[in-house]
Amino acid sequence: MLLAVLFANTDGNILIERFHGVPAEERLHWRSFLVKLGAENLKGAKNEELFVASHKSVYIVYTMLGDICIYVVGKDDYDELALAEVIFAITSSTKDACGKPPTERLFLDKYGRICLSLDEIVWQGMLENTEKERIKRLIRMKPPADV
Amino acid sequence: MAQPLVKKDDDQEDEEYSPFLGIEKGAVLQEARVFNDPQLDARRCSQVITKLLYLLNQGETFTKVEATEVFFAVTKLFQSKDTGLRRMVYLMIKEISPSADEVIIVTSSLMKDMNSKTDMYRANAIRVLCRITDGTLLTQIERYLKQAIVDKNPVVASAALVSGIHLLQTNPEIVKRWTNEVQEAIQSRAALVQFHALALLHQIRQSDRLAVSKLVTSLTKGSVRSPLAQCLLIRYTSQVIRDSSMNSQTGERPLSDYLEACLRHKADMVIVEAARAITEFSGVTSRELTPAITVLQLFLSSSKPVLRFAAVRTLNKVAMTHPLAVTNCNIDMESLISDQNRSIATLAITTLLKTGNESSVDRLMKQISNFMSDIADEFKIVVVDAIRSLCLKFPLKHRSLMNFLSNILREEGGFEYKKAIIDSIVILIRDIPEAKETGLFQLCEFIEDCEFTYLSTQVLHFLGNEGPKTSDPSKYIRYIYNRVILENATVRAAAVSTLAKFGSIVESLKPRIFVLLRRCLFDSDDEVRDRATLYLNTLGWDGSVGEIDKGVKEFLFGALDVPLVNLEASLRSYEPSEEPFDLSAVPKEVKSQPLTEKKAPSKKPPSFGVSANGPTSPIDAYEKLLSSIPEFSSFGQLFKSSAPVELTEAETEYAVNVVKHIFSGHIVFQYNCTNTIPEQLLENVVVIVDASDAEEFAEVTSKPLKTLPYDSPGQTFVAFKKPDGLPSTGRFSNLLKFIVKEVDPATGEAEEEGVEDEYQLEDLEVVAADYMLRVSVLNFKNAWESMGPDYERIDEYGLGVRESLAEAVTAVINILGMQPCEGTDVVPNNARSHTCLLSGVFIGNVKVLVRLSFGIDGPKQVAMKLAVRSEDEAISDAIHEIVANDEAISDAIHEIVANG
Repeated sequence: MLLAVLFANTDGNILIERFHGVPAEERLHWRSFLVKLGAENLKGAKNEELFVASHKSVYIVYTMLGDICIYVVGKDDYDELALAEVIFAITSSTKDACGKPPTERLFLDKYGRICLSLDEIVWQGMLENTEKERIKRLIRMKPPADV
Repeated sequence: MAQPLVKKDDDQEDEEYSPFLGIEKGAVLQEARVFNDPQLDARRCSQVITKLLYLLNQGETFTKVEATEVFFAVTKLFQSKDTGLRRMVYLMIKEISPSADEVIIVTSSLMKDMNSKTDMYRANAIRVLCRITDGTLLTQIERYLKQAIVDKNPVVASAALVSGIHLLQTNPEIVKRWTNEVQEAIQSRAALVQFHALALLHQIRQSDRLAVSKLVTSLTKGSVRSPLAQCLLIRYTSQVIRDSSMNSQTGERPLSDYLEACLRHKADMVIVEAARAITEFSGVTSRELTPAITVLQLFLSSSKPVLRFAAVRTLNKVAMTHPLAVTNCNIDMESLISDQNRSIATLAITTLLKTGNESSVDRLMKQISNFMSDIADEFKIVVVDAIRSLCLKFPLKHRSLMNFLSNILREEGGFEYKKAIIDSIVILIRDIPEAKETGLFQLCEFIEDCEFTYLSTQVLHFLGNEGPKTSDPSKYIRYIYNRVILENATVRAAAVSTLAKFGSIVESLKPRIFVLLRRCLFDSDDEVRDRATLYLNTLGWDGSVGEIDKGVKEFLFGALDVPLVNLEASLRSYEPSEEPFDLSAVPKEVKSQPLTEKKAPSKKPPSFGVSANGPTSPIDAYEKLLSSIPEFSSFGQLFKSSAPVELTEAETEYAVNVVKHIFSGHIVFQYNCTNTIPEQLLENVVVIVDASDAEEFAEVTSKPLKTLPYDSPGQTFVAFKKPDGLPSTGRFSNLLKFIVKEVDPATGEAEEEGVEDEYQLEDLEVVAADYMLRVSVLNFKNAWESMGPDYERIDEYGLGVRESLAEAVTAVINILGMQPCEGTDVVPNNARSHTCLLSGVFIGNVKVLVRLSFGIDGPKQVAMKLAVRSEDEAISDAIHEIVANDEAISDAIHEIVANG
């Protein structure tokens, strides 16, 4: 299960978040935990360099894309390797939507497209699509190129 | 909805450039009126939806009225032919998640889209419908969903399959009907469709072992395209291997060739998954391990952090059971200590601590010292735990390891971290006698400057127990008395108790302790004064008591012998009256499993915070329930309640389980019944118990259940008399009898006339373990020694051929029903011998300790030595009888030596 996907800026403000199977009262813990994790490790990190952590039986893969911190959290089938696939799909389609690793401003400019891309990648805690080309077509309601 | 972590600060520099600058919910809701325009402006509408999404993501909540308004307005947008806008509409509906009574507005539009010629409309409509649908609508659209699963467009098929995975949780009986289509989808050429189909099919069949085994066997032969699906298949394969190895006697592991082949797959994730599966084989051989370890070793130097992490995480686990197999990787592992990703570095360090030999300890400690300063507390705790295990493994190295612990104790750190260090030092002092004096001294230094009251009091308590037994107890007094002068009231009170312990044990220190305790009589806190007064008087400062008698010591410093949780619960329910609180009436049983032990586990997400207050212990609930029934009021104090035992198969018409309540001279069976048929109402429900195979039991009363409506559990009871205080055993057969009445599903009303019916339940056994309370002891060694060998009984038994040592250990623990101590119920893989320590209280409140030593030889013959110590000779013998007479192992048991 993919428990959470979070986008935040470098100050720790949440820009987009998707939780699945996490009760509302636990979400605040997650936000603070992830933002703290990012603050401790992502400073000075290279663009798109992946970081990994595990907390109890939960795995976290996170990275920095331009000025945006991206976190994905999973458990069971979604271990660090599956999460790496997920975050790769997310970073590549975000870059695709923005044209380059985004600043916060650029990210907000493309907010709608990024939300749609995320909707194609992760749906209710499951990984649905991974290729950026396909995702790009899907958000414009075009069938995949190979059909 | 979620609150943003930090609200955006208006003064922030880049804020002025934000497209959402000054965004306000009211204004956006106003803007949403454009959705109602007769001439829709698609671009503008999309922008408004984006703003709404942004607001939702910022933690803004819509009131019920606002949400409804937005939802209705959004549904108008189905009129637009603009595909981009339609995509936004789908997302928005999912985000608002309309209430059940509103869904109807949008279903017809979505159903139309679901049958659209445009594939993408179909895929999206399926996803939205499945998100908002309920059971009744689902039956209407089931036909389309089944078609969609085998749609040639992979996006449509995936949408339907993923929906199926979600719907399986709420409407399993419907989704289970799609098996044929899902099976077809597994053969799809599209990688992701295969992945989703495999996940769904496995979930549909997961309770049917044979079907899973068939699925895995057929797929491992064919070609699974997607690496993600391949990983799933590997997981399912290892599950099949685990299940089958339990039955097969041949010693061959099925499907292991497939896993070995996966080690050569081109996708890294598949290789790691296969290696992981192999290392997790139960009883894995070194021939099986070697290729897996080799590929993992290669990944240790991968440029991808995720692969390094996956490899080191797996090797870390292997190191716990097969440290020697991992030593080859030590050089690669050492280079990971400086890995920028601290999770990887911590895993590397802790693995090295497990695999390192005695000679490498010092070098390793040096490396770790540099590393400790720049990792977070939670990682440090892992390292501290690993160092503790290392020290226990190489006691000769205690000096440098204890030094390390004392150094890090002086550095900055949070409560959990400090507690981990203190706990480690305490364990090392307890287990390594040479480390005792240095360790105690380190603890003394720590409390001189400790900011955590809890830790100070713990250390003081420990000092009081261990300090007086050292060669020079007087040197600790200064540190303890300093606490009385410098600390808060809680710590001062603890220090007073510690001083008193020294006074009571070390006769020569007594006069000086009295001087110090007398000063405490003027303390500003009443608890401190009270303790000082109590100790001064009981220890005889005025010369009234010469030799301190054992009773006083027991009263002052003895253990309470009851779990604190139980004591707290009893104290809370105690009502002030003439009758004093009776400590011996507090239940001694360690909280057992929750009531609904065998119910399907609910998939609860992991909790980050400290777990919420636990529910009331089931034992308390039982006690309350039983004491409210007048028929049982004369039975006296409840000794024990068993965990529920299922008497019906899962998913039958009536679900019944039974809890055995043991009293000294009685036993009560509490049958928990659930009626799972909505069209039935049961009345006068009773269980007819045949006790002809339980000669010592005689039925005294039965309490029927008046009515048992659908899905609302009820209880019926049957009570038996048995010989007082004796562990009588027997087998009982059970028949559920009731009057069944039809219920009209429309009105919910039952018919007047009913029909008598009965339902056979499974047999129930009362075994010796039912008379044993699982009560743990803090320190088994101490408890064992203080119990003494007076009533010790030792025998040896052959347990015959067993599956594994672990299985034999579990079997004996279950037969005795005792509490495993100090984690000795866990048997390391491939161990040839094992010692297991158990403690418990037998009926009649007799403490029992058991030391089991197991050995296994080549052909898996297991031998066991059973040493029992208890407070009663007859009970020690009875424990041996339990093992010797138990049917589950008696066919293999034969007594070899009896040297009691």
